[in-house]
Amino acid sequence: MPRGDFERPRHRHCRRLPTQQGATPGPASPLVIRLRNLSKEYERRKILRGIDLQVDAGEFVFLTGPSGAGKTTLLRLLYAAESPSAGEVWVAGRRLDELPRAQLPLLRRKIGVIFQDFKLLRRKNVLENITFALRIHGVAPREAQRRALQVLKRLGLHHRQTALPDALSGGEQQRVAIARALAYQPRLILADEPTGNLDADLASELLSLLCDINYQGATVLVATHDHALLESLPARTLVLHHGQIHYDGMWPP
Amino acid sequence: MIRHALAEGWLLLRQRGAVSVVLALALAVPISLAGVGLSLHRWLGPVAAMSGQASVVAVLLHPRLDGEQRSNWISEEAKAHPEWVITEISREDLVERLERWFPYLEELVAGGDASLPPLVEIETTEPAGVAVLEGRSEVLAVGPRSSVQQLLGRVARGLAWVLAAMSGVLLTAAVLLASVWVHLELYRHADEISIMRLVGATEPTIRGPFLVAVAIPGAVAGGLSIVGSIVTVAGLSRLSTTLGLPAVPSGFEILALQAGAGLLLPLVAAAITLARHAADEIAE
Repeated sequence: MPRGDFERPRHRHCRRLPTQQGATPGPASPLVIRLRNLSKEYERRKILRGIDLQVDAGEFVFLTGPSGAGKTTLLRLLYAAESPSAGEVWVAGRRLDELPRAQLPLLRRKIGVIFQDFKLLRRKNVLENITFALRIHGVAPREAQRRALQVLKRLGLHHRQTALPDALSGGEQQRVAIARALAYQPRLILADEPTGNLDADLASELLSLLCDINYQGATVLVATHDHALLESLPARTLVLHHGQIHYDGMWPP
Repeated sequence: MIRHALAEGWLLLRQRGAVSVVLALALAVPISLAGVGLSLHRWLGPVAAMSGQASVVAVLLHPRLDGEQRSNWISEEAKAHPEWVITEISREDLVERLERWFPYLEELVAGGDASLPPLVEIETTEPAGVAVLEGRSEVLAVGPRSSVQQLLGRVARGLAWVLAAMSGVLLTAAVLLASVWVHLELYRHADEISIMRLVGATEPTIRGPFLVAVAIPGAVAGGLSIVGSIVTVAGLSRLSTTLGLPAVPSGFEILALQAGAGLLLPLVAAAITLARHAADEIAE
């Protein structure tokens, strides 16, 4: 695996053992993610082909692969923005393709998603974007504000709290998206290219933040093609290629 | 959730202040006109009821018919037309009735009682139907069969139905207007809605602000329509009393209906539009 352009500090404390294959998913299972023979195709073009995967509660997992390998599609299937063409998707003990529509929001509240395209509310400022998500999760307004400011401070954005997303740089918007995903302390964090618009220092700070959250018990799945990021943190890594998992193990070995 | 809906709904209203004012006015006008239409419908009611009133048609019988023959004829006709009430006019009243029903027979009337033909009056709700007696050997003439009251009643009834239909059309227009407004707002906020869904918002959380944003102009529209219809009905009442007609009633029920329509119709339209939008999203 090639190295990136810059060296990043290693976060060795943020490390979980890979899952034992063959465990049975269910409400009492420690598995947070289980994919069984998962396939997805768009207009007869196969994006994912028969993927089997298990991720334990508390694991930190990188998902990597070239552009078009299916990383984003896999994440979208995990937060039920897509339905599988075949196979099963289990998240937090629930099978998503059989989940009643009304229960989907409750499941999504357990998942913090850091979107590649940020998905910020354009008419709300930075603080409101985060408090809005917290309010949806039933957090009281004052507590929502306190938690939002706390996470913004951690991400170095507290001075931009009244700015609208369009007034922010790409990196700042990405940090707001990260802040929103982390603010409600989800059990599972799915991050799609979270460092794509960040400089090296901020990327390192984000990784440190994700590690802290992982250390507190949350499962983290980071989709990235940033090799420097992969090199900086030894963790279970899945390499996706042509819609199939070609490598599942610790990286760097 | 209610606090969230109120806060976000108010924000939606503030963002689209001018459009919300236009929506309130656009709802108020048809609802107000519908209220006026219903008041006029009620006002025309008693006149319209006259269209079903019974009228009397006079029938002049042949003078050669004796008393028994007349009795037989009356009983036969009463049997053939059970809806008719046939009354033979007595000799004492004959002159007065002949002058009323057949004024062109004044020479005959002037000739004295002995030459006067017998007269019966038929009371019926279908005076035109009495025409079947024309040409019978026992019948000399059938009196006027058109009823001014019935004609007036029919016109009033038609007008009342037109007003009720117009009210219905206007209320439907108000509903469609609210529905289109919600549809446009959903289109404008489509990205936000999809983001809200992705971060775990439930459908009531998503729909609540839109319902609030529609309910507030709807409530304002209800109030404005009440003011509008009270003013209009008062003006019409002044006009009708000047013409010697009864005042146009402005009932509390109609005003309450207007307030309810102002609030509920856009809410129902919005709820249907939101449900359809959610169904479309799920289908996609």
